[in-house]
Amino acid sequence: MTLTEAVQKFVHEGSTVAFGGMGGTQCVAHAYEIARQRIGNLTLICESPAEPADILIGAGLVKKAEVAWIAYAVAGLGYNFRRCVEQKVPREIELEEYSNYGMSLRFLAGAMGVPFLPTKSFLGSDFAKYNSRIQEMEAPYTGEKVSLVPAAQPDVALIHCSRADRFGNGQYFGISASAENIARAAKHTILTCEKLVDQELIRKTPNLTIVPGYTVDAVCEVPFASHPWNMAYDYIYDLPFHSQQMKAFKTREGFEIWMERYCYGVEDWNEYLREVGFERLMKLHQMEEKFNPSVY
Amino acid sequence: MEYTLSELMIVASAREIQDGEVIFAGVGNPLLGALLAQKTHAPSAMIATEGGALGPRPKRLILGIGDSACSENAMTVMPLWRLFADQQNGFVDVGMVGGAQVDRYGNLNSTAIFGDGNYFAPASRLPGSGGANDIASCAGRTVISIPLQRRRFLERVDYITSPGYLTGGDSRERSGLPRGGPAAVITDKCIFRFHPETRELMLDSIHPNVTVEDVKKEIPWELLISNDLKETKAPTEKELQIIHMLDPQGIFIGNGLKELTFEKYIAMLESSLDHAI
Repeated sequence: MTLTEAVQKFVHEGSTVAFGGMGGTQCVAHAYEIARQRIGNLTLICESPAEPADILIGAGLVKKAEVAWIAYAVAGLGYNFRRCVEQKVPREIELEEYSNYGMSLRFLAGAMGVPFLPTKSFLGSDFAKYNSRIQEMEAPYTGEKVSLVPAAQPDVALIHCSRADRFGNGQYFGISASAENIARAAKHTILTCEKLVDQELIRKTPNLTIVPGYTVDAVCEVPFASHPWNMAYDYIYDLPFHSQQMKAFKTREGFEIWMERYCYGVEDWNEYLREVGFERLMKLHQMEEKFNPSVY
Repeated sequence: MEYTLSELMIVASAREIQDGEVIFAGVGNPLLGALLAQKTHAPSAMIATEGGALGPRPKRLILGIGDSACSENAMTVMPLWRLFADQQNGFVDVGMVGGAQVDRYGNLNSTAIFGDGNYFAPASRLPGSGGANDIASCAGRTVISIPLQRRRFLERVDYITSPGYLTGGDSRERSGLPRGGPAAVITDKCIFRFHPETRELMLDSIHPNVTVEDVKKEIPWELLISNDLKETKAPTEKELQIIHMLDPQGIFIGNGLKELTFEKYIAMLESSLDHAI
């Protein structure tokens, strides 16, 4: 199945959607595909979905975001997110804020099939003041104070991994963040990989299989799906590209021109990559090979 | 020896770290401080980044919490919740954090500057907590880096993203937080620590060529001053050399990002390969 088909099949108007990735390994191809198909009124449930959240919010496709952080780290701020909260442009969204650990526990609870989990985060802070779903209680066993976060079971999980077989057994060589739990918590999981491989190869290093096939509904091979972000052992971060992107995103007009060129004006992710330039992408791959040579 | 204030802040935060400690560090100057400590007096310190990597020993600058450099020569890469759970359980000695606003009791705000508005309609929306709340809640102690400016130092922050000593005294303990709290606030003019009982910000050390009056000007309340006020030691040549080796293009310590072409970026990485940091 192609990513275009998988998104058509599983992501619908009003869906609750979770993206994998943390810093690197982000689901950029996936967010562009949803934006291209103009699937709206989404609820994002994510830890720090920098790029997917900022782009979909800018595209006006998000009605609610349950998140911990939205920005582009060293490259810049989440300008679409800022415009949305500060000026209600292009639309107002509802915000439900957590921390990274708090969100990761929501996915863990969802993956465990329990309604909530306790944590020592949030105590003494202002989170619960503005998010009524963060509750405080005394532990029935010890009396100590804990915060509770509700389980998250999104309609669709979109996750990108290093390699997978066609049954959706997904492996990571680098950071997997919450992929294991997002895949398990969601009703449907779309798994993309840098490389589709024979199951024989997966079976040689079974401990790398973070996402087991039984949690996955669609598998697509999408090389460079995290560009401009990095994918450990596959390609380095394209910081200069992001830097240009941030210059454009500073204004609403710049964002719209950017999206026309890289998202709406192209047919799919392959065309985005062509627009970026294959020579550049190969260089990103070669540099990563020099620092993190692939071992498998 | 010439140095910038940003370099001095990195050096001062590095000196907060002891050998053998586990450090949870955000990207940018906090991470440069942690790496500098590792290259000088704390060779067996272990750095953890939010993506789940522990103990990276990369040959290149770490550009983000999930950068490929985080898993380069690392000890382990864990699921995100696992690393944070380890912190909650007491395995992390020190967290290096920043924010847009800090208050009298070391509470930090990285959520929103309210201005004339409020949380729902703020003057300036910031990225949010990320893992900052978790680090401030459960690390053994935290080291805060923030420039000393009147708009950043407030009697009370607009939103407590990352808890410090809350309203002072034993209020942090009473809130149920298991341990920790800020040990130091490193600024571009001075270093603050906290009064052992009231838990209020206390001027502990001023940087070379800065006066107590310069510091007081930026603080909107009557500032406590330590009886043992020190002068911050200037960076050594070796420390500065290491910082320049870690960030050769000045991406974090200078304006390097503005002029960073693809060619320059690749050349920077190529040279990191040859001059292993």
